[in-house]
Amino acid sequence: MSTHDELRANAAGYVLGSLDAEERRTFEPHLAECAECRAEVASLRPIAGVLATAVPQVTPRTELRDRVVSQAFGSMTTRLPSASKGGEARPERKRIHAGVPSWVALAAAVVIAIGAATYAVRVQRQMGALQARFDQTQATAAVLAAPDLARIDLQGQPVAPDARARALWSRSRGLVFTAANLPPAPAGKAYQVWVVTAQMPISAGLLTTDGTGAGTQYYDTPSDIAAPVAVAVTLEPLGGVPSPTGEKYLVGMP
Amino acid sequence: MWLLAALARMQPAAESQAEDLSCLRRIVSGDQAAAAGLYDRHSRALYSLILRIVGDESEAEDVLQEVFTQAFRQASRYDASRGAVAAWLLMMARSRAIDRLRARRTRFESRTGEGTLEEMPDVQPDVASVMLSDEQTRSVKRALGELPLLQRMAIELAYYEGLSHSEIAERLEQPLGTVKTRIRLGLLKLRDSLTEGPA
Repeated sequence: MSTHDELRANAAGYVLGSLDAEERRTFEPHLAECAECRAEVASLRPIAGVLATAVPQVTPRTELRDRVVSQAFGSMTTRLPSASKGGEARPERKRIHAGVPSWVALAAAVVIAIGAATYAVRVQRQMGALQARFDQTQATAAVLAAPDLARIDLQGQPVAPDARARALWSRSRGLVFTAANLPPAPAGKAYQVWVVTAQMPISAGLLTTDGTGAGTQYYDTPSDIAAPVAVAVTLEPLGGVPSPTGEKYLVGMP
Repeated sequence: MWLLAALARMQPAAESQAEDLSCLRRIVSGDQAAAAGLYDRHSRALYSLILRIVGDESEAEDVLQEVFTQAFRQASRYDASRGAVAAWLLMMARSRAIDRLRARRTRFESRTGEGTLEEMPDVQPDVASVMLSDEQTRSVKRALGELPLLQRMAIELAYYEGLSHSEIAERLEQPLGTVKTRIRLGLLKLRDSLTEGPA
């Protein structure tokens, strides 16, 4: 038997539409008889409206107006079937179910550290950092929810035996890379992340680590590359290089 | 003159609602210009939300067309007492876009033999009865950016990715109760930012 607090915990999910069928079956009858939960649902509803509009605003192509107004409106009166088609099939990838939390916590720690570092600077700079953080969080969430998510664990190489890392890769949404226990990069050097395909290694980008050797970064990788046969981290000259030249610190294969 | 301007600033939601209702009435009687009017006022906001969710322009265009098709068909049944037309349209857009994502996931899982996704009902048909002012929307957006990462991530996975509580718990490897608490605390904080006003 659920307590009231357990039931009330579903009010927010009810507003977001994220209850599963069973939660909904127990929450809806409760809502009918509990004024407190009804009040909470009512007070949270406008937030869903804000989430709907708190997205980057993009104007649709002008051609779409004709298609919608004449075709969709026309189909209403003539009962033509909708012109919509199904979504595209996605390439098959190994799906993951496990192994994220400590990595997410690590990412949170890094983000908090970045937040603390920028605290003292001017408001304008803060807003910029905040925006960058949104985009990183949003992109990271999108990768975690990707239908074609693949996980690649990387092992420390002889130069850094304690280092470890995990790459979460979605062809459609990009790469989230989280590393820990990397030695500090020497002056004039930087860590660079590589997606290695059968043809060649492709640079994902540079990886910045904190004082503990941890770093998390989202990379927007091209969706048309061949499936990776490995992911690797090398130590390269500051600013990075077009193809790897330095020592391998982390390597992992799918 | 300034009074008119001040009133215009105060009443944008109410005016736009009256205009929307008039459009819906004319759409029912087969007025194509009214359909174009509804499209012109809402297509940008709806397309932006859909694109954010499905992440693909051509698919977003298909979903936008579905949403307007549905809106035109249901115009006669729209009940103004349930709230703003804009909120009704946004809710349909979110629901249709999430259906696309789920269909994509289900197809994927059935191919890999991991069909665990449960068929979920649409979000509530009732809509927000309150339209927020621009200033309120801004303060909620600001508050959203200030949420702890895991709270924000859980809310994003629920609202924009259409994952259920249990799916979020699985992806973040957190207990189900923790996920629910995070989502609730996050939304309560956003709500409070409405009443506190700008910091």
